[in-house]
Amino acid sequence: MDSPFFYRNPAAPAAPSGPLAGSKIAVQPNLSVAGWPADAGSNALADFKALEDATIVKRLRQAGASLCGATRMSEFGFGLRGSRAGEAIRSQAADAELVLDLMGESRLAAIRAAVCGFKPSYGLVSRLGLIGLIPSMESCGLLAETPATIRELLKAVAGQDCLDFSMPDDEPLDLAPQDIDPPKTTIGVVAEAQSGLTAEQEALFRSSLDQLKQAGFSLLEMSLPEFSLFSLVHRIVGSVEASSSAGRYDSVRYGPRAAGAKNWNEMYLLSRAAAFGPLLKSYLLQGALFQFERYEAYENACRIRARLLRQMQRLASRADCLVFPAVDGAAGGGPPLLADTYGQFAWTLFANVTGQPALYLPPPPDAAHAGLQLAGARLSDGRLLALGEHLVNLHPRGK
Amino acid sequence: MEFEAVIGLEIHIELNCPTKLFCDCPNRPGDEPNRNTCPTCLWFPGAIPRLSQAALEKAALLCLGLGAEIQPRNAFDQKVYYYPDLPKGYQLSQAHLPLARGGGIEITDENGKLKRARIHHVHMEEDVARLVHEIEGRTPISLVDFNRAGVPLVEIVTEPDFSTPHEAIEFLKALRAQVRYVGSSECSMENGTMRVDANISVRPRGASEMNTKVEVKNMNSIRHVGDAIAHEIGRQSASVQAGEAVTLHTRLWDPDKKVTLPMRAKFEGPCIPDPTVPTIELSREWIDDMRSRLPEMPATRAARFVAQYGLSGEEAAFLSSDPDTAGFFEALTAEGIAPRMAMHWLATQLLPAIKERRQELHNAPVTPGRFAALLRMLSQDQINANAAREVLLRLFDGDQPPAAIVDACGFRQVSDPEALGALIDKVVDAEAAAVADLRNGQGKAMGFLIGRVMQASGGKANPKIVRELLGKKLEAIL
Ligand SMILES: [Zn+2]
Repeated sequence: MDSPFFYRNPAAPAAPSGPLAGSKIAVQPNLSVAGWPADAGSNALADFKALEDATIVKRLRQAGASLCGATRMSEFGFGLRGSRAGEAIRSQAADAELVLDLMGESRLAAIRAAVCGFKPSYGLVSRLGLIGLIPSMESCGLLAETPATIRELLKAVAGQDCLDFSMPDDEPLDLAPQDIDPPKTTIGVVAEAQSGLTAEQEALFRSSLDQLKQAGFSLLEMSLPEFSLFSLVHRIVGSVEASSSAGRYDSVRYGPRAAGAKNWNEMYLLSRAAAFGPLLKSYLLQGALFQFERYEAYENACRIRARLLRQMQRLASRADCLVFPAVDGAAGGGPPLLADTYGQFAWTLFANVTGQPALYLPPPPDAAHAGLQLAGARLSDGRLLALGEHLVNLHPRGK
Repeated sequence: MEFEAVIGLEIHIELNCPTKLFCDCPNRPGDEPNRNTCPTCLWFPGAIPRLSQAALEKAALLCLGLGAEIQPRNAFDQKVYYYPDLPKGYQLSQAHLPLARGGGIEITDENGKLKRARIHHVHMEEDVARLVHEIEGRTPISLVDFNRAGVPLVEIVTEPDFSTPHEAIEFLKALRAQVRYVGSSECSMENGTMRVDANISVRPRGASEMNTKVEVKNMNSIRHVGDAIAHEIGRQSASVQAGEAVTLHTRLWDPDKKVTLPMRAKFEGPCIPDPTVPTIELSREWIDDMRSRLPEMPATRAARFVAQYGLSGEEAAFLSSDPDTAGFFEALTAEGIAPRMAMHWLATQLLPAIKERRQELHNAPVTPGRFAALLRMLSQDQINANAAREVLLRLFDGDQPPAAIVDACGFRQVSDPEALGALIDKVVDAEAAAVADLRNGQGKAMGFLIGRVMQASGGKANPKIVRELLGKKLEAIL
């Protein structure tokens, strides 16, 4: 099998010092590391080499981590087609991986690799140097064997960046280990989030809930009647943002320019048409359609997004965290279709719409139940990871 | 059929803050190409725009100077179009929530009637790169200079309140004066720091509905704006007269042929809010603080000049149209120069001399102190006006005090009655014919005799005393 790496760091790891000393971290080629190729998985950026380190990269290095390379990724991180996220950890080439999370990619990759996957709160980690696609929804996801490792990583990279003005003015998070007292910890279960599961998936989810109950947690049934709108809102707002923002990835500057054009205008059109793959192209076209032909639909989607955010906040405030099915609604091997892609991420994309943190925990080895997806209110990242740590420690993985 | 025009203006003004709008690169578009660039203004993948506080303040001052209402919540949008001068595919501009709304400027129409031209809104946006077209061998090539990319602009959009080229010109002059006053921009159409597009439509005189408008661009002086509007009114009136429909499009002014020509339209669609530049929230206190930084504006200053210095309305308006000129004038009066003299010499001598040398008043070698010293010598009759004009020209050549130049050139005026009396005696003796003319009632000969005395003094005689002494002398002998 060929390597999951798109690029390997030829430099030897630096002398270790700092909290992450000795850990090897793999990034994706959408995160700027000075001098590394950064094509973000797209032909449109085929020749682009990053000029500067992303803030995350700087902070990882300051904490003593060494970057071992960049793994293959889907085009601009949209979906998982062509992505090899998670494999570097599985093959022990890396202790952790950074994976762009636009609609749940880091969590789905974690399901496939049977590791932990975490999407931090929106705005908690600097996006400077991140070649993104959907600015208001994307987060740099973290993959590792344990929530404790993720917590250490997050401690190193989270927090205000004076070069990223888009980060909200949040107080610094407490990411120290926390004790969890199950009887005093309420976990909310959103009824509507289970619709669309197959009978088998639903049974697995039910058995996961039973595990939580057995561990002493109290479960609280909740309702979010508009849960199914998350997908629609993501699809409209996400595609419009992608279509508008992706103008800068025009292939004319960093990718191959199309030959045989009669003038610059034609050269632009042909180059862009050749640069993007079919899935991304249909996403950008869909976004352009909403922006230019159905603008009211986009405005409505923005309004519904604000409403969903409020509803989710209300639910999150009634529990210590919420639990959602962790399902890889894997797309078939056919042609890449937007509908399939959205179907695949139907149970993860809500957290990208709201900006809340979400954590995937794999099931213990040989367990009869599925993994869990936990989510909390925005900036409850510390609490969520502590809960994850507690749950993982109930069934230590004999590694 | 008689037509009337409906004209609205869109004015782009480049702010003169030290850095660009979303990065720390120097705001000096004229430097060596692509020198003032960074990943942000080159729009590299992964770059994040960071709004400049200085640009926001300059823009807010400009709005307040025009009486516009700062919006406590304003935000940037992505204006999508693709063109090689905008390689990232969208321009950051404020389409939905502009920085300010309302405001306006009083102008006078052709009949001298006061009229208020209203401002619809003012928004901020980033400038795009500059394209340079060259020929390499036999191949035409286009180069992109990013020095201008990300330079802070404001766009002032007026209501369609103008009906003649004159009104548009008056508005632009007044706007330029006001913006210079608050110190936000030099507003030079020649240098491109002020760019004007005009939206023009015509309709039968007295009609109330608006017809399809045509946008005209590419005028690089205020005069050209007037010419282009006049041409476009004529062109549209003729085509409506001929029964042709006016279509919505953009035209370019050709200053050589003095015509407007249609241009290919750029693709433009609705803007979406930029998710990366945070919404700008401005507190009441912040806006009040900005307002307290506003200087006295031209109209207020002109009114004060009339009241305080006894200038005519026209003189006061002239002086206060430019903050440097007004400041220079007040510095002269503070030095004790009579207001009328200060006004006269500034307007007719100093400003033309500075313009001729392509200098700026605020950094010219003729400082208010040196100019006042010169005018003081003139008012104290130590030199005459001709000598003062001579000395003024020499003030540009060095930093000598005016008195030293006067002495070195021997310009000091002769006012001594004895010395002048001797000269007058000589001239009266030599010019018997002129004296005879005077005797026959020909008053013109008086001026002739004064001229001869001035000539005999080498131009140094004090003409006032010469006239006085000559009068007495002639009275005695006639
Ligand atoms: Zn820059």
